[in-house]
Amino acid sequence: MRDALAYEWTRIRTLRSTWWLTGLAMVLGVGISGLFSWGIHHEFSTTGVSSGDLDGLGGILVTQLAATGQIPSVICFVLAILGIFSWGHEYRHGMIRASLTALNSRRDLWLAKYLVVGAWVAVVALTTLLLAGLLGQLVLHAYADVLTAETFGVIGRQVVYGVLLTWLGMAFTSITRSQAFALVSLFLWPLLIESLVFVFFSFIPGLKDHTDLLRFLPFQAGGKIVNVLENSSSTFGDPLSPVGGFVVFGGLAAVLMAASYVLFRERDA
Amino acid sequence: MATISARGLSKSYAGKPAVVDLSFDVEPGSVTGFLGPNGAGKSTTMRLMLGLDRGAGSTRFDGKAFTDLDQPMRHVGALLEAKPFHPTRTARNHLRMLAAANGLGSKRVDEVLAMVGLVEVARAKPKGFSLGMGQRLGLAGALLGDPHTLILDEPANGLDPQGIQWMRLFLKSLAAEGRSVFVSSHLLSEMALMADHLVVIGKGAMIASGPIAEFVRSSQQNAVIVRTPDVEALARLAQEHGGAVAREDSGALSITGLAVETLGDLAFENRIRLHELTAKVATLEEAFLERTAGAEEFQAQGLPPVTEGGAG
Repeated sequence: MRDALAYEWTRIRTLRSTWWLTGLAMVLGVGISGLFSWGIHHEFSTTGVSSGDLDGLGGILVTQLAATGQIPSVICFVLAILGIFSWGHEYRHGMIRASLTALNSRRDLWLAKYLVVGAWVAVVALTTLLLAGLLGQLVLHAYADVLTAETFGVIGRQVVYGVLLTWLGMAFTSITRSQAFALVSLFLWPLLIESLVFVFFSFIPGLKDHTDLLRFLPFQAGGKIVNVLENSSSTFGDPLSPVGGFVVFGGLAAVLMAASYVLFRERDA
Repeated sequence: MATISARGLSKSYAGKPAVVDLSFDVEPGSVTGFLGPNGAGKSTTMRLMLGLDRGAGSTRFDGKAFTDLDQPMRHVGALLEAKPFHPTRTARNHLRMLAAANGLGSKRVDEVLAMVGLVEVARAKPKGFSLGMGQRLGLAGALLGDPHTLILDEPANGLDPQGIQWMRLFLKSLAAEGRSVFVSSHLLSEMALMADHLVVIGKGAMIASGPIAEFVRSSQQNAVIVRTPDVEALARLAQEHGGAVAREDSGALSITGLAVETLGDLAFENRIRLHELTAKVATLEEAFLERTAGAEEFQAQGLPPVTEGGAG
């Protein structure tokens, strides 16, 4: 296993795309949070602050507004591309056979990829969210305490979401063996497919009574992991609690990962 | 030094057999050529040997399956793809990555880069590499662990004549050090100069396995060419002694099944005057084409008509 980790660690560091995606995620993360902090500072300095304005502010700020539940996490989606590349390059550039003649344990290679890429994404996401929080704290210190215990909780949950999203992208790429298809799906699924399902449920009479089921759509559920504006009555209530969101989204990631492992073991390289 | 022992290798794609019950050995200290027409199953066989494709049978490297080898590049070096690397990862980093998987250091990376002549492009991105440079980088990867066994699929593809000669001498020198070298190629003239043994397959099944000299000797293309003014007498005499006689356009006889010495003695003893007595030795290409006739996966329906003056 140590050899597989060494291989994967060298692999991820010797690709230029790793560095530009990491840099892009950090610049976008800190930049969006900085712009948001500046806008809030401007608002507070002109109209004053009410206690309601501060609800969930830290979490919303450090997650680049993903904690509002209105938009997906920008940095998590950028970092998930690292996961797609980790398997996509193996098949796109015919690397997989060279990899498996350098490392003859498919289990070790599979595990090493998920561990190393997951750790990389976790560290970059954590660093970015903390930097975003520090910047917000600097800008807004006169009005609010951004880095509260609640904010650190959101940061932790966002890191978990980022790793799960990355693993989900990795599993999907490994199953389809198509980097392009996985990249397109990663963005189309939450942005188009789940929206389409929402529209269907809104307009088709037979489905209108079942819109509560839509909370179990994977990316809807995943968004609840960091959502700070909605209160849930129970784990799988409507809306889902962060734990409920984690179970649904993480469950899908786990199922796809298990499928990818079985296929990786059984299929020709 | 290791013997490769392949037993009962088989593989089908959607019910169509690609490799059928192949068994052979590759001995240390020799280059064993792996020949077969396009689509014969050579690449599939090599992948089966390394556990990359799922199928039946087993391959042992000194008694161990590839998947049981600890740090496999230290035992078996493989080159299976023409350009098995990421186009923007430098050649040196590509090798560093493979080396890391086998506990090998950067010093060894620099050594193999020098061995294959890629020092000057070590820090270049391989997206600009020619096919030949890609093959050299692939070979460098196969040599990283200083393995006792090499499995190389068409390593001479894309090499220029100097590169092909370099590859031949290089592989022969590796075999001379006691390594087992198993190499497929379509370049039969190169194989004739390089290989000691052959494994020949057609449509996934074994056609021949053994020393290259024996394979060539078994060809029906080996014959004795005889020119004589007493054609009928010599033809009858040769047939009486088990030879098969054919007449060539030049009027000479082409006799198979009898050694040149035997024919000479028979002519002398029967007072038949000879104007020419030549042993015609088959080439590897002739022997290969003869033995693989009908075993091609893809067959052309005929040559296009050629008109006087070319296609003009």
